[in-house]
Amino acid sequence: MYFLRSPDTATVRRTSLRPLLVKEVGELLSGRALWTMLLMLCPLVGYSFFQAVALYGEASAAARDQPVLATSLSPLDGIVVPTFGAFYVAVTLLFPFVAIRALGREKETGALKLLVQLPYQIRTLVAAKLTAISVAWLIGLIPVATALLLWLSFGGHLNPLETSNLFLGHLLYGLLIGAIALFAAAISDSSATAAIVTLGFTIASWVLDFALAGQSGTLGWMSRLSLTQALRTFEQGLFSAAVGFGMLAAIAGFAALAAIWLHPGTSLHKRLARTVLCVGLAGVLLAVATQLRRSSDVSEDKRNSFPAADQRTLAGLKEPLTITVHLAPEDPRYVDLQRNVLSKLERIVPNVTIRLVTAGQSVIGSAGEVSYGEIEYSYGAHLAKSRSTSHREALPLLYGLAAIPVPTPQTGEEYPGYPLVADGWIALPWFFVALPLLIAVAWWWWCRRAPHIPAQFVKSGGQQL
Amino acid sequence: MMEAALLQVAGITKWYGDQRALADVSFDVRHGEILGLIGPNGSGKTTLLETIAGLLPVDAGGVLWQSTPLPQHRRREVVLYLPDGLRPWDGQQVIRVLEFFTSAFGGQAADLTKAIRSVGLEQVLGKRVAALSKGYARRLTLALALLTPHPVLLMDEPFDGFDIRQTREIMALMRRVAAHGRTFTLAIHQITDAERVCDRFILLVEGRVCGIGSLDDLRARIGQATAGLEDVFLALT
Repeated sequence: MYFLRSPDTATVRRTSLRPLLVKEVGELLSGRALWTMLLMLCPLVGYSFFQAVALYGEASAAARDQPVLATSLSPLDGIVVPTFGAFYVAVTLLFPFVAIRALGREKETGALKLLVQLPYQIRTLVAAKLTAISVAWLIGLIPVATALLLWLSFGGHLNPLETSNLFLGHLLYGLLIGAIALFAAAISDSSATAAIVTLGFTIASWVLDFALAGQSGTLGWMSRLSLTQALRTFEQGLFSAAVGFGMLAAIAGFAALAAIWLHPGTSLHKRLARTVLCVGLAGVLLAVATQLRRSSDVSEDKRNSFPAADQRTLAGLKEPLTITVHLAPEDPRYVDLQRNVLSKLERIVPNVTIRLVTAGQSVIGSAGEVSYGEIEYSYGAHLAKSRSTSHREALPLLYGLAAIPVPTPQTGEEYPGYPLVADGWIALPWFFVALPLLIAVAWWWWCRRAPHIPAQFVKSGGQQL
Repeated sequence: MMEAALLQVAGITKWYGDQRALADVSFDVRHGEILGLIGPNGSGKTTLLETIAGLLPVDAGGVLWQSTPLPQHRRREVVLYLPDGLRPWDGQQVIRVLEFFTSAFGGQAADLTKAIRSVGLEQVLGKRVAALSKGYARRLTLALALLTPHPVLLMDEPFDGFDIRQTREIMALMRRVAAHGRTFTLAIHQITDAERVCDRFILLVEGRVCGIGSLDDLRARIGQATAGLEDVFLALT
């Protein structure tokens, strides 16, 4: 008899991953949470998309009379980001309940005690659960995908690179929420507690975003830990290695924490010690990530870069460039300068240092100083000052310091813009009736589908014995 | 000559805060036997099984496999623990759970068929685990155990939920399986059930072992040659 074989210590290494993955995905699909989220996503995404199409249409209509306005019409900002925006809200508030089910239900039914005795390493179990969570996330993306297909069917334009970049950002965000939820489920006795812990993380992230954004020093650094801030980079058409690597490090960190707390037979003090080690390691990885300067402007309108001729010239500046800014971090001029000049220079000039001399001071505290508002550019032995926050003034100043001619703008490289006046009414019956109906039918089919019963247990009439 | 121990539990002590759950518990488990862990509710039976399986940390003591220390992380290679009241993956159909276990342990379709037949699950293969009666849920648990290659099975209250006829059927199955060389350690609070199926007994009260041996050994200890297990238990605890 098979079950009488002698102990086989190699079983753990030899076992196939496929049954585990099939089981994990099946578990998520057999719960109500994923289907309910999917049904709720339909009106959420649908209404956002409908409104986005309407507003984009209004702006496009104005561009008919003034063609220059067309160049500011980007489907990324007008359609894709708002549509994904509704998905983001659902992933933040609803997806934790889906992800927690991957572990919480097993804890509640006692199946976890069986699962940890299967011939899989704990890290394999966590990886399988995270894979199932990413499958659930992809299923949740169906309403967004249909919205983008509708947009294309209206004759709308989608740039594959910037859309894929945004997709990647949301995937990383979804996986991060999933990893936090797994960790929360691993440390909690019930799914309800795990949901509170996960929402605690996401809502705290919003608080960081709202309350601390624009602050200087430690508070400013803390605000950059917000999950929303991480996503914003992708929404701006920028692929940043620092953000991508940082999010991956955070996902790996939370997954490792979940594995530590799932490990059976480990005493509390060992778990705590391993937790501290893991958090420290994740912290180091995050710190390394922040040092990564590599980023790529994947937006079609190249909003994160200077004009191409300037980009080429600036990339050739070999000497150290130091920019000293006399502005408080919360000053709108600093925000403009950061967006229009500093962030672009940081990405293209090989050796640039930016110093904020009023860091830690407020606008009120510093505005009285004579030098307040000045921006000093030092290149080699040369120094120049300006108060402008526009690249149109800053770049010629830099060229002057480097003693190089101002590059001639190239024609034909301007972003054309993609105005489109479309009637988005079809989105309403699709997202409010047809798609929810299709999802409900798929749910019903999934729940009712008969499993394959081995032939010897089925009567000749097809009924089970 | 006494049979060599397959598994040795050596001086396991477990505290929950300031409450001692197990106090220096030691005993042997022999090849092919059905060992009964007998004790009232709260006596530490479940805690003991979970510590042997490596699912709970211990404050002292350990487990030996064929006289060699068996570290906590390697227990699952030889021991499988089946908790009380288990309804694993209750949203799935019974056949899917069984197939998952078969595949996870590298089993074949024939093993699955054999396990289904031996515990009598043919009628409920298409049902969801959540919809199973208590008795069928127990049968499913036993079928899962039979699908694994572990030589030692630790089962918590395996007869809870069965009627007399079903209990006898399952006991007969355990006997057959044990006769083929697998070893059972069963935590049972129904002394009459334990007396029917077990070869030897560990009497556990408040985390302490009060008696170990076959019914005859225990009878000899209290000096009553015809006493039942219940009388022995009351006399020794």
